[in-house]
Amino acid sequence: MIERAKTILVIDDERSILRFLRVSLEENGFEMLEASSGKAALELAAAKKPSVILLDLSLPDIDGLEVLKRLRQWTSAPVIVVSARGEQADKIAGLDRGADDYLTKPFGVEELLARIRVALRHAERLAQDPEPIYKHDDLKIDLTARRVWLGKKEVRLSPLQYVLLSALVRNAGRVVTQKQLLKEIWPEGGSTPEALRILVHQTRHRIERQPVRPRHLKTEPAVGYRLEAPDE
Amino acid sequence: MPDPFREYGLTVGVSALCTAVCFALFPVLSLTDLIMVYLVGTLVVALRGQRGPALFSSLLGVLCFDFFFVPPRFTFQVAQPHYIVTFVVMFAVALIISHLAVRVRIQEEATKHAEIAAETERLRSSLLSGVSHELRTPLAAIIGSASSLLQAPPGGSSKWRELLETIRDEAERLARLVHNLIETTRLESGVLRLKKEPYPIEDVIGTALERLAKLLAERRVETDLPENLPLVPVDPVLMELVFVNLIENALRHAPGTGALEISARERMDSVEVSVADRGPGLAAEDRDRVFEKFYRANKAAGGAGLGLAICKAVVEAHGGTICAENRRDGGAVFRLTLPRKDAP
Repeated sequence: MIERAKTILVIDDERSILRFLRVSLEENGFEMLEASSGKAALELAAAKKPSVILLDLSLPDIDGLEVLKRLRQWTSAPVIVVSARGEQADKIAGLDRGADDYLTKPFGVEELLARIRVALRHAERLAQDPEPIYKHDDLKIDLTARRVWLGKKEVRLSPLQYVLLSALVRNAGRVVTQKQLLKEIWPEGGSTPEALRILVHQTRHRIERQPVRPRHLKTEPAVGYRLEAPDE
Repeated sequence: MPDPFREYGLTVGVSALCTAVCFALFPVLSLTDLIMVYLVGTLVVALRGQRGPALFSSLLGVLCFDFFFVPPRFTFQVAQPHYIVTFVVMFAVALIISHLAVRVRIQEEATKHAEIAAETERLRSSLLSGVSHELRTPLAAIIGSASSLLQAPPGGSSKWRELLETIRDEAERLARLVHNLIETTRLESGVLRLKKEPYPIEDVIGTALERLAKLLAERRVETDLPENLPLVPVDPVLMELVFVNLIENALRHAPGTGALEISARERMDSVEVSVADRGPGLAAEDRDRVFEKFYRANKAAGGAGLGLAICKAVVEAHGGTICAENRRDGGAVFRLTLPRKDAP
């Protein structure tokens, strides 16, 4: 059976960006649709039902966040928001309003493709059971047995550290915001972003060989955290 | 600011007008009702926002009222002593009215000033983001295109690859420079506000190392950060920029294979972080000047002279300090302190 190429809708008003994205995406077996305004994007998304939507937040007509809100009213297709370095508030607002991930301009093609693959995999997996075993490099996490290994050695984690890791594993490869993590780890509330940062810090000292240069559990400054996507 | 002579002249005019109105009303109103007319006059003067003329108007009102209307009329003499009380009360009420009116006016002007300042800031900030968008977009297209070619080289030789890598790496360098320029402008124009929250410093240093991962691929980095350092309240995005610049600076001025050493220690009220290299170190006259904007200690090594200036501006905005020293056994060390959480 021949699988139909996945369609990526790119919403951006810069011709030069659209041109390099078209070459890169088509080279990698995706079909690309493009829209250079929010209005056109909403129409195109409704007509073509793309698998992934790449949304630049600065658009000429409608605010990117408004486009996201309107998309989310009817589609659950993964949306990756794109914005410039330093515009953390935009990124957080996008993720809070239902975006799945973000990319910071400028970005390389490897980064873009990695994000798209994670988004597709996550969307597919939502329908099925989650993978019970996460493996990335020398880190292995078994969600059913609730056990974690770093290389050959088993790692002892506190219950909270384990809850943090499993929340990140369920979203492996995607950024998870501080707010989302706080809700998952302390569902009754009563905790603070500061407690979360300390928890991440301590967890890193268990699962990373060099915690200041983490290979698995990365920080997205001022936004949240990202556990690297599992090995293929 | 209105001309004070004009204001006093106006006060005299208002008092004269009040007196004229009082003459017209004198046959129909009682004597004490005429006081109201002078009080309205004082209110009008006070609403122009100056204390001197308002006080003058209060006094002039009492004198006019006494001279023109209180018997015996057209003298300052007073027939019945209870009028003295009337004068005092009239003067006091006029003073209170003028005081309140002046204050309302001053507040109004302060609000107007704040509105203008906010408007200027909005304009400046939108101008900046417009400029930064224009500078960054072409770079994003160059970096994206180069990385795309690198990812799928159509039978290219290793020389092609090297050139493509140069295009990508240099464009990334330019992007960092543009980012530095824009952040400097933001810092200086006051558009930027620190969003400080308590962070483990290890986390912030980690994101800086991650951002420079490509540059650091062939460089040894030795780190010494105790696990239980106190948290420091920082703006994580700006503090990352500080470490990115310190590390880039060390790579530029201490090329070669010597390890980069990053360590942190707990101090009484602060956390001290140092970034040290094994390069040639700093000449005595450069040690204070390296943090000046556009100052370059070693012109051959390149750089725009912005990185360390930003470091200083950001660290000081956090209430910290930064200095440069030479290591006893060779190389330079940049030491910064950041107030720890709950420091006095």
